[in-house]
Amino acid sequence: MRETLGGDPPGLLARLRAGDPRAFEELVIGYQHRVFGVALRMLGNRAEAEEIAQEVFLRAHRAVADFRGEARLGTWLYGIASRLCLNRLGSPDRRMARGDALLADVTATTPDAAAELERAELDAALRTAIAELPEERRLVLVLRDVEGLSYEQIAEALAVDPGTVRSRLHRARMQLKEKLERFS
Amino acid sequence: MTCNETRDLFSPLADDALTPVERAALDAHLAGCAECRRELARFERTVKMVRALDPSHAPAGFVDRVLAAAQPAPWPRRVARRLARPWPGLPLGAAALFVVGGLAAFLFRGSVEQQRAARYESSPPAQQYQVPPSAPAETPSREKAAASDTAGPPKAERAEPTPAAPAPANEPASARAAAPAADAARSTPPAREPAPAAPAARELSARPAESERQESGVDARDRRVDAPASTAKRAESQVEARTQGEAKAPASSQRASDKVEPLAKLRRNAVTAPSAPGAATSSRANALAAAAAEPPDVNAQLRAPDAKTAERSLVALAANVGGRQTGRRVDAGRVIVQFSVPQDGYAEFVRRAAALGALSIERQTTDRPVLTVTVSVTVGG
Repeated sequence: MRETLGGDPPGLLARLRAGDPRAFEELVIGYQHRVFGVALRMLGNRAEAEEIAQEVFLRAHRAVADFRGEARLGTWLYGIASRLCLNRLGSPDRRMARGDALLADVTATTPDAAAELERAELDAALRTAIAELPEERRLVLVLRDVEGLSYEQIAEALAVDPGTVRSRLHRARMQLKEKLERFS
Repeated sequence: MTCNETRDLFSPLADDALTPVERAALDAHLAGCAECRRELARFERTVKMVRALDPSHAPAGFVDRVLAAAQPAPWPRRVARRLARPWPGLPLGAAALFVVGGLAAFLFRGSVEQQRAARYESSPPAQQYQVPPSAPAETPSREKAAASDTAGPPKAERAEPTPAAPAPANEPASARAAAPAADAARSTPPAREPAPAAPAARELSARPAESERQESGVDARDRRVDAPASTAKRAESQVEARTQGEAKAPASSQRASDKVEPLAKLRRNAVTAPSAPGAATSSRANALAAAAAEPPDVNAQLRAPDAKTAERSLVALAANVGGRQTGRRVDAGRVIVQFSVPQDGYAEFVRRAAALGALSIERQTTDRPVLTVTVSVTVGG
C-alpha cells in the first residue's frame, strides 16, 4: 500500500490557477504513479492506463480554474481517474486485453525456487481475483488497500457517502477471501 | 450478536474504523466463536496480501508526454481543430434536424424521378453510362470519401463528465450511462450524412464502393480507439490532413469532370438542384476521408515461416512494450496487423520483431508519442 495521501504543497493550487507551468509539472510528477496505478488496476492494460492517466492530468489542467479547493488535489485527481476508468470500462467498443498487465507485474525475487513459484502463483491468483471483482467494488478496494485513501477521501472522490464505501469495500474483501480460499 | 453481524465488522476492523461499542461487541462474540475467529484470520490474511501488492509506477517519459500534450496549440490550429470537430455544442434537436434534412435531400436526389430530370438536362441518355476507362480510378476515391464519413469522426472526445467541481458532481454510474448517448449524439450528424456524389456515379461504382466501405470502416474504427490525449499531435495532423483534403477536393473533382463529361454534367446539375444543401457537405466528407486515409506512422513487412505464429508473437510483443493491437485485416492473402506502440517502446518492438523473420520497414515517422505501426505478415523463409 502506498503512503497515505497527504495534504497539498502550500501554494500549489494558487500557482496552478495562475497558469504556472512549473506548478502543473509538479502536480504531474507528484501524482503520476498514483493516477497511473489506479488506471492500471482498473483497466489491466498498461497502454490504456497511460492513455487514461494522461487524460486525467489534461482535464485537471483545463479545469483547475474552476476547482474550488474544497477537496485535496489528490482526491480530485483520483475522482477524475475513477470516472474515466468506469466510463472506459463501460464503453461498448472497449477491447479488453484482460490479464496481460495483471500478470506482467509479477516480480520474483525469492532465491528459493519453490517459494518463488508459490509466491508468483499466489500473486497471479490475487491479481486475477481483483480483476474479476465488479468494477465499483474493485475501485473502492484499489483506492483503499492499494492507494491508501481513507473512507472519507474515497467517498469524496467518488461522490458517494462513506457508508457506501464501507459496504462496497467489505463485499470486495469478502469476495476476494472466497476466491483465495485455497491459498489459506 | 450473530456470526453474520460479526463478520460484517471484519472490514472496518481491518481499517480501525470500528466504534468502541462495535469493537466490544465483536470481541465478545469472537471470544466464544472459534469459527468466526478462523474466518477473521483468513479475512485479515487476504487484506494483508492486497496491501502488500507493489504500487504501480507510471512509465518512463510519462511526465514529458503529459506536459507536451498540455501545451496550447498555435491559434490557427486551435481554430481549425474546433471547426473540424462535429460541433459539440450543437443542440441535440438541431443535430437531429440536420440528419433528417440531409437524409431527405439524399433520398430526394437519389430518387428515380430526380435522376430522370437530371438526364434530360444533361447530355443524351445514350452517353449517360459510358465511362471512359480512366474514370473508375477517380470514382472509387469519391466513394471512399463517402464511406469513411459513414464510419464517423474519430472519437477525439468522449462524453465523460467534466471535472469542474471539486468532487465529482455525478455518481459514476449515471455518468457512464450518459456517455454513450452523448457520444452517439455527437457522432450522428456527420456519420449519417450522405456524401453528395452524383447518383449516376454512385450507381456505377456501387459494388467496388461496398468493399472499400468495409475496409475504411475498419480503419476508422481502429483510429477511433486512439487516445484523445496521448495522440494530441496526431489530432493536429489529422486537422492538417482534413485541410489538405478540402484543398484537394475541388481539384480532383475537376479532373474527374474533364474525363467523364456526362458525369460532370450530372454533378453540376446536382450542385445547382434545389436539394443542393446536401452538397455543401461534400468538402467535409472528402476532408474526413482524407483524415481516415491518413497513412500509419510506420509501415513494415514481415516475412516469417508461419504467419499465424508471427502474428501472435507480434501481438504479445506489442503488449510487452506497452502497446496493443488496434486492427487486423486480410488483404490479398496477407495479414495486415495494426498496432499502437508508445514511442519509447518502438525500438524494442522493432528489434524483437526482426527476430521473428525478415523485417523490412518501408516507411517510418517516429516523432509522435504513440505510433501507429502497420505490419504486413507474409509467409516465406
